[in-house]
Amino acid sequence: MSETISVEAFRLLLDRAGIRVKPESFEDMRNAYTLLQAMRERVRTSRGYDAEPAHIFTPADR
Amino acid sequence: MSTDILTIAEAAALISAGKLSPVELTEACLARVKVFEPELHAFVTLTEERARADARRAEAEIRASGPKSPLHGIPIGLKDIIDTKGILTTCQSAHNIGNVPGKDAASAAALDAAGTVLMGKLTTHEFADGGPSFDLPWPPARNPWDTQRFTAGSSSGTGAAVAAGLVLGGLGTDTGGSIRGPAALCGIVGLKPTYGLVSRAGVAPAAYSLDHIGPMAWTTEDCALMLQALAGHDPADPASADRPVPDYTAGLAKGAKGLKIGVLQRWHESDRPVAPAVQAGIDAAIAAYRSLGAEVVEIKLSALQEYTAAGFFIATVERGAAYERMMLKNPEKFGQRYRDRLVFAALCTGMDYVQALRRRRELIAEMTAAMAGVDVVLTAGNPDEAPPIDQVPRWDNLDKPNFTMAFNLTGMPAICVPSGFGPNGLPVSIQLAARPFGEAVLLQAAHAFEKATPWRQRRPAMLGLAEAA
Repeated sequence: MSETISVEAFRLLLDRAGIRVKPESFEDMRNAYTLLQAMRERVRTSRGYDAEPAHIFTPADR
Repeated sequence: MSTDILTIAEAAALISAGKLSPVELTEACLARVKVFEPELHAFVTLTEERARADARRAEAEIRASGPKSPLHGIPIGLKDIIDTKGILTTCQSAHNIGNVPGKDAASAAALDAAGTVLMGKLTTHEFADGGPSFDLPWPPARNPWDTQRFTAGSSSGTGAAVAAGLVLGGLGTDTGGSIRGPAALCGIVGLKPTYGLVSRAGVAPAAYSLDHIGPMAWTTEDCALMLQALAGHDPADPASADRPVPDYTAGLAKGAKGLKIGVLQRWHESDRPVAPAVQAGIDAAIAAYRSLGAEVVEIKLSALQEYTAAGFFIATVERGAAYERMMLKNPEKFGQRYRDRLVFAALCTGMDYVQALRRRRELIAEMTAAMAGVDVVLTAGNPDEAPPIDQVPRWDNLDKPNFTMAFNLTGMPAICVPSGFGPNGLPVSIQLAARPFGEAVLLQAAHAFEKATPWRQRRPAMLGLAEAA
């Protein structure tokens, strides 16, 4: 599991995105950001650079 | 079947035989709405006058030339992210107060063309994600089995309304489980069709590449009847599949003999161990299928967490793209749960999104290969009974994998069917899934299980009905 992002780094991410977060939500969101980080890590597997995205989603036998 | 509330198939047979009037049927539903809606909050907008007008018209048409479909004269409801011409469509959000579309969504139009009676617009989570929320202009729906319990979401009103017999069927939408979750917790049947089978045109997006529209009803047969009216190509939906639509009810009576059922044991036993009542339902399904002549084998896939991580990451970013402007301009108009989820979208990068899409391709390939040797796969619908509505984790589905997102990620059809009751007297469910456009065999397998079990005989106690024999 990822480590919790620091207050400063999380504030920087929010500022860069132009997002305002209610003060009462800040700590909960900073902790929950760990969950997003975990997903971010999971979708990165050791595949080659030729592994294509599912950029046009097509069920197998459409 | 329940002694007082008809299924769609039962009502259709009576209407066709001239033994039941759509007006009478609609009035019975409206009477239940009057009694139970104050507790259930299943409706955002009750279209009482429209329902009566639809019912009178259906009655006249049927008297003149017979029913045009099994849905003719059947009272239904639509999740309130589905556009309805001239009728408020709120998406349960302050952003959409006063939003009255000029056109029906394709799915709403399809049900209207089949002759249904529109009872109203049904409660959802805000823009179909993040609930239950108590800071929106409308309250969250309550579970008819226990009104202190969660319905799951986001097709929460549809789940509650069908379970309580306020409507005979309804439409939900499903981006990570929003049809199947409420079906599981409200004790009804919910079908997420193959991606592209039912048009998304006119439905507010939750995540473009994961969104599905589908039926929710008391029985599998009713879902099949509704799907028949909904399926088909629509050029207005860029993801719509252009292929023939089979007869979804034709195979229902075939039973399970000869089917091959793959059990995704790892998912519900170790990746997210389910409650004993849910496991008992899965075990009962395996036993039932074996006794009906099906072959049951184990199927092995990557961890459930792999599928849910890719799915929820894609959903997060696509949701953010859809509602970016609202978020930047008027964030205060969103409820807190939804607003905070939108914030996460803004913290993802383009590279993150493409990596998730690359993972998606790998997982689709894996599941496609695994499903090549079986007709349907079996796992849990939800890990447990419904939790208390005030104890639903704020980051639900991000902190623990759910059982439904995997089939949004792969686009494959999946259905939740009741499989019993837990220690709190609340319903539990199994989930079945099939290959793309395999709805006919999926419905066949679900119907066979349903017919082999007694779980369709019991309605929520609040309705005060005797259990059918």
